[in-house]
Amino acid sequence: MSAFAEFDKERQAVDKLLQQGYGIVNIKEDLDGAEVTFIRSGSDGDPVKLLLLTADARKHVTTAVFAGIRPAAPVEASI
Amino acid sequence: MADLRIDLAGIQSPNPFWLASAPPTNTGYQVQRAFEAGWGGAVWKTLGDPIINTSSRFAAVHFNGQRVAGFNNIELITDRPLEVNLKEIYETKKKFPGHAVIASLMVEPKREKWHEIVKRVEDVGVDGLELNFGCPHGMAERGMGAASGQQPDLVQAQTTWVKEVATTPVIVKLTPNITDITVVARHAAKGGADAISLINTINSLAGVDIHSWNTIPHVGGQGAHGGYCGPAVKPIALSMVAECARDRGVGIPISGIGGISTWQDVVEFMLMGATGIQVCTAVMHHGFRIVEEMIDGLNNYLDDKGLASVTELIGKSVPKYSNWGDLDLNYKVVARINEDNCINCNKCHIACEDASHQCIDMLTNADGKAVLQVREEDCVGCNLCSIVCPADGAIDMIALDSGAAPMTWNQRQQVISTLNGSYSEAEVV
Ligand SMILES: Cc1cc2nc3c(=O)[nH]c(=O)nc-3n(C[C@H](O)[C@H](O)[C@H](O)COP(=O)(O)O)c2cc1C
Ligand code: SF4
Ligand code: SF4
Repeated sequence: MSAFAEFDKERQAVDKLLQQGYGIVNIKEDLDGAEVTFIRSGSDGDPVKLLLLTADARKHVTTAVFAGIRPAAPVEASI
Repeated sequence: MADLRIDLAGIQSPNPFWLASAPPTNTGYQVQRAFEAGWGGAVWKTLGDPIINTSSRFAAVHFNGQRVAGFNNIELITDRPLEVNLKEIYETKKKFPGHAVIASLMVEPKREKWHEIVKRVEDVGVDGLELNFGCPHGMAERGMGAASGQQPDLVQAQTTWVKEVATTPVIVKLTPNITDITVVARHAAKGGADAISLINTINSLAGVDIHSWNTIPHVGGQGAHGGYCGPAVKPIALSMVAECARDRGVGIPISGIGGISTWQDVVEFMLMGATGIQVCTAVMHHGFRIVEEMIDGLNNYLDDKGLASVTELIGKSVPKYSNWGDLDLNYKVVARINEDNCINCNKCHIACEDASHQCIDMLTNADGKAVLQVREEDCVGCNLCSIVCPADGAIDMIALDSGAAPMTWNQRQQVISTLNGSYSEAEVV
C-alpha cells in the first residue's frame, strides 16, 4: 500500500469518529505510534481508542485538537 | 551606487571586504597591494612570539573537478619578529589611512603578556585588535589558540586583560572546534569584547596517500592535524554566525569568516548577522583581484534591491532562523517534474526509489515516450530529487496549501500535554 493510502485509511477512521460527534480526549504516544482516545460529546459512553501508525495521521489528530475540534464537554459528561 | 562603508564596533572601513589573518596578510607589501586592489580592511597575520614553520604545510581537497573545495593547513602564526611587522603596519596605515588595519594577536594566557603586546601594537596606530583564540594546531599544543579558545573562562579572562589596556576596539576570534560556539561568544562578550569574528579553521586531516600510506600533507613521513577552511566549510561557518547573531547573550557585532568566495556569500553572511566579512582561502586560490568582482556584484545587488547602504542587509534573515521545534509541521511542498526541461536521466527516480519515498513513477505518455511523474500524495517534499537533478528547471518544489492551520512541534507537544492533563484529571474524579 502507498504511504498515502495507509495514512488515508487512518485519517478516515479519525474523521468518521469526529463527524459522529466524538472528540479527542487523550493521545498516548510511544514506540509503536499514537493511541488516541475519543469520547462522544455529551455522552458517558465507553471511550473509543484508535492506534495510529502513520506520521501524517498522528499529525492530523493533533492538528484537529490544535484547531479546537474537541468534544464540547466530555469531562463534565463523565463526572 | 550604494554606500558600501561599514562600521564594525567603531572600526570604519570603506567596504565590508576584509582579508582574514593568514598568508595574504603576512607583510606590508601584500596588504598594501590588497588595498590597491579594493579590499577595505586587513587583519594582519597573527603576531606573537615568532614561531618556526614546517615545510610542506598546505593541502587541498579537490572534489569532482572543482579545485580547492576545501583547504587544509598546518601553518602557525607569523615567523617574523614583532618589530618588523609593526614597522610595516605603521607604513601601511600611513599610506592607507582610510582602510581598516587590524592586528591579530596571540600570546600565552598571561595578563602581563597580553598587556605588553597590546601596548606595542596600538603604538603604531592599528584600528583594532583581533584576539586569535582559534588556531587549532601547533599553537594549541602550547596552550594558545584553540586550546585557550575552548575554555570559555579563559576566553573571558584574556579578553578582560586586553580590555584593561586596549584603546582600540577588540574583536575576539572564535574557534569552531567546540560543541556550542555561543557559549564562548557569550564569555567573550562578558569579558568586554567589542565584536567577535568567526570561524577559524576546523580540525582536519586532508587525506591519506593510499600508495605511500603517508598523511596529506606530511612532513618527512609524519603528519599532524591541521585546520580546514575554504568553500566546504561555509555552511558550518554560516550556521555558527547565525547562532551567535540570534543569541541575546552575545549581542555584539560579528565579523563573518569561513568559505566566502563570492559577493553572494557576503550577502548571505551579512543577512545572517555579520556586519562585515573576512576572506582567506579564496584569495589564496585566486589572488587579491577577486575583490573587484565582489564589489561590483554587491553594488549591483544593492541597487537592484533598492538599498542605499550595505548596512541595511545586516541581520535581516536572523528572525527567519529559529529552532526545529518552531517550524510549521503543516507546511507542505511537493516535487513537480517539468517534462519540457527534463533530459530523462532518471537520477530523480533512482534517488527517490533508493533513498526517499518511492513516489516517482516511470510512465509512458501518449507518444510512447518515457516520462517521470511524481505521485504528489506520497511525496514528502524532501527535496532530494531536485537536489540530484542535473537539468535546470526540470524539477520545481511547489508549496501546497494543506488547508491546515500552522502547527509547530512545540505547539503540538503542548496541546497533547494539556489534553492529557485534563483527561486524567477527569479520570481521577
Ligand atoms: C594557511 C592559513 C594560515 C592561517 N593563519 C591564521 C593566523 O595566523 N591567524 C588566524 O587568526 N587565522 C589564520 N587562518 C585562518 C583564517 O584567517 C580563516 O579564519 C579561515 O581560513 C577561514 O576562512 P576561509 O574559509 O576564507 O579560508 C589561517 C588560514 C590558513 C588557510
Ligand atoms: S521530494 Fe523527495 S519524496 Fe518527493 S519525489 Fe522528490 S525525492 Fe521523492
Ligand atoms: S533528474 Fe531531472 S533531468 Fe533527470 S529524469 Fe529527473 S527530472 Fe529529468
